[in-house]
Amino acid sequence: MPRFPSSLRLTALASTALVALGAAPAAADSLNALVWCDNTDPDLIRPFEEEHGVRVNLREYEGTAAGLAILDQSRPGDWDVMVIDAVDVHRVAERGLLAPLPADELPLGDFFPDLVMEDLNAIDGEFVAVTQKYGYNTVSFNRANVDAEAMEDLSSLFSGDHDGRIAIYDYYLPVLGMLALNAGIDTADLDLEALETLREPLMDLRARARQVSEVVAAQTALAVGEVDIVFGGGEWLTAVLAEENPDLDWTIPEQGAVLWAQSIAVLADSANPDLALEFVKYISSPEGQARLATSSCYWGMPANAAAGEILTDDQRAVLRWDEQEDFLTRVQRYPVPDADLDAAMQDLWTDMLQN
Amino acid sequence: MDRAREARMGWALVAPALLWLTAFFVLPFAIMVGLSLSRFVGREVVPALSLDNYIRFFTEPSLFRGLVVSLEITAMVTVVSVVLAYPLAWIIAFQVPRNWQRLVLVLTILPFWTSYVVRSYAWLLVLGQGGVVNGALMGLGVIDAPLSLSATRFATVTGFVHFFVMLLTLTIYANLVQLSPNYARAAADLGAGRFATFRHVILPLTLPGVMTGAFLTFVLCMGDYITPQILGGGNELTLPQLIMMQLGRRGDFPMASAMAIILMAVVTLAYLACARFLRLERV
Amino acid sequence: MRVLGWFYLALAFGFIFLPVAVLVLFSFQDGRLPVPPFNGPSLRWYESVLGDRRLMEGLRHSLIVASLSAALALLLGFMAAQALARHRLPGTLLMRAALIAPLTVSYLIIALGLLSLFNRAGIGLSLWTAGVGHVVINLPLCFAILYASMGEQQRSAETAARDLGAGEVRVLALITAPMLAPSMLAAYFLAFTFSWDEFIIAYLLTRFDVTLPVEIWSLLRSGLTPRANAIGSVVFLVSVGVLVALQLLVFRKVRP
Repeated sequence: MPRFPSSLRLTALASTALVALGAAPAAADSLNALVWCDNTDPDLIRPFEEEHGVRVNLREYEGTAAGLAILDQSRPGDWDVMVIDAVDVHRVAERGLLAPLPADELPLGDFFPDLVMEDLNAIDGEFVAVTQKYGYNTVSFNRANVDAEAMEDLSSLFSGDHDGRIAIYDYYLPVLGMLALNAGIDTADLDLEALETLREPLMDLRARARQVSEVVAAQTALAVGEVDIVFGGGEWLTAVLAEENPDLDWTIPEQGAVLWAQSIAVLADSANPDLALEFVKYISSPEGQARLATSSCYWGMPANAAAGEILTDDQRAVLRWDEQEDFLTRVQRYPVPDADLDAAMQDLWTDMLQN
Repeated sequence: MDRAREARMGWALVAPALLWLTAFFVLPFAIMVGLSLSRFVGREVVPALSLDNYIRFFTEPSLFRGLVVSLEITAMVTVVSVVLAYPLAWIIAFQVPRNWQRLVLVLTILPFWTSYVVRSYAWLLVLGQGGVVNGALMGLGVIDAPLSLSATRFATVTGFVHFFVMLLTLTIYANLVQLSPNYARAAADLGAGRFATFRHVILPLTLPGVMTGAFLTFVLCMGDYITPQILGGGNELTLPQLIMMQLGRRGDFPMASAMAIILMAVVTLAYLACARFLRLERV
Repeated sequence: MRVLGWFYLALAFGFIFLPVAVLVLFSFQDGRLPVPPFNGPSLRWYESVLGDRRLMEGLRHSLIVASLSAALALLLGFMAAQALARHRLPGTLLMRAALIAPLTVSYLIIALGLLSLFNRAGIGLSLWTAGVGHVVINLPLCFAILYASMGEQQRSAETAARDLGAGEVRVLALITAPMLAPSMLAAYFLAFTFSWDEFIIAYLLTRFDVTLPVEIWSLLRSGLTPRANAIGSVVFLVSVGVLVALQLLVFRKVRP
């Protein structure tokens, strides 16, 4: 009889193998991307993979805090590119996490001028990220049940006419941004003091709302007629549903709306900087931009105007291509909270959910 | 085989399992305790020995309420599931002909094998205002206007009960069929009525099985994130939802750890409360 | 009384099968919204799901993680059960409690703890780390099932084999394991199912390659479509198929 049963040795071996394999370094012919769900569409990724003969590994995340937490927990070289809220690019860059991009190799000249966002994407004139897509957090509604006219004025949501028929999109930044606009506060001026004045309207809206929901639950509620309005929605929420139910629509009320914009960046410690840059170039190209704009997760406007030549007329109509000029003058960017304000906003949001 | 050798053999057999659990269960837990005592300042974890996170949990109403909500939902789910599952197990054990029992049992737990995540989503479709339940009730003329069923606590509890009725029916059935019919016969011979037989003979004999099932329900329900997240409509947050919020939106590992430890403490208390009825090694 | 019983059974089955029925029905929806009205049958969502590389990879990953983690959990659980049931060791009671303890802990806590551990140790997340977590939850289960089913009968058989000169490993492999085959199968099957359907551990402990429940969760978060119905129905049909096959091929023979 062996002193130790072989199964024990086997287990020891297996555990060593587990650890060893788990720690295996990334292969050279793959790109690791930390992205939002729209960037995972196979129709977008596969052409790049085939052209370069590589594999793109994708991990989705939501919210900059979560993204930063993932980066903190990773080892250097784990990630090659990341998609991030344009307003948060500096937050990541300040930590020295982003590599400079050669602006002259990117088609920034074709971009909608408002979406180049040099103040957000560049540090001291040097680009570290590039805008890839944008849209609005505003009001989505069902034309069959509410007066489209009334939706032009945010105050009608507080009139009592729609009580119990509202869903609030479950993300604190755009919703608080919209409430700030409604109160006449610019999103850029939102601070701890101003935030406190939003508590009451937020709780008021909450009392009038049926639910606070993520994308699918909000879409379901709108589609089956449980709610008529999604506060914080927009074309990204209703574009897909509009095909089935043309009554589902969205608008930018007179108080304005919040502009969301997402950027893509190359990580400073990328193990594959050349391939990472190629990926950024691909996503910024008219073809990549058109595919990203109509990605299966959600639609949104491409930052590169040249994508318009590739999108079909129908697609441009859904995106309201021709109205963008007007829209862009009426919207404000996401609030950019520092750590304290961010915590205060999330506390307020939790209070609202638990009420 | 001599004693020393036998003992050595025994240790060698049990060691891998103990080592595994030490490395991947006890050690992680210890790290989590350490984290829960750390501070989270400006998006950074700062090592410390502080009870701040625990104090914050119990003093901040919106966080503490998560525990209350979780307990309320779990209590409701456990009671309703037991009350619904017991008769079902009883009927399968004593009324369904023996040859069919196996089939009926398999059918009972068949929906187990749809994905758990998808099952909650399916209830979202079922309970919606334009969903099947409202459609049927209105078609039958039971109600005039659609009921507001989804995005409520009712929806969360329904989703949970659906899962746990399947689980409990199985455990209670296993208990019931082990009972010798002689017990009931003896009780009847002694003049006990049907109800008295149930109350004084069968119920006490099946109690351990019921309690084990109920405890498992309690553990799984307290810790579940999916069902309330999909079905609750953001109208109240359970403890696991709050924990995932700390992780996903704030990256606040220390607070998430503290809340996880509180969750664990509650489950442990529940375990101690019903420990004498439990036979966990016989699930 | 009996009529009432049948009525209750029918009602309970209605409740149990309602979501599955709705799920499957609207997986055939000809349209983008899986809600009434039903527009007539279409297979387009199945086509879309079966042609989706990520979902199919998720399916494969789930199969791998479930089969391997269940096997390791079974092996470790079996050895531990044998040790505690057959060998007189000091602290048996304590060890038994320790081996069962993870059963009383929420998966979320186990996942969170392992995440902290792997972060601290600098181990990258992958299917392997999720597998480690699944062994933690399934080991106690396998141990409990096997420990409960170890009886006197095996002990005498083992003693007899030993007396005839069989080594300990051979006794385990040739006598104990086969005699426990029904329980071993049941434990493996249960562990497999738990791992196959487990979400939170797999969600928190994987990175690029994820299991099917995590992939379905992403699908559910990215918009309302009957694709979720279709993949749910596929999982259901595959699982039921396996269940029926097991029932016919394996469990029938070993029924105690």
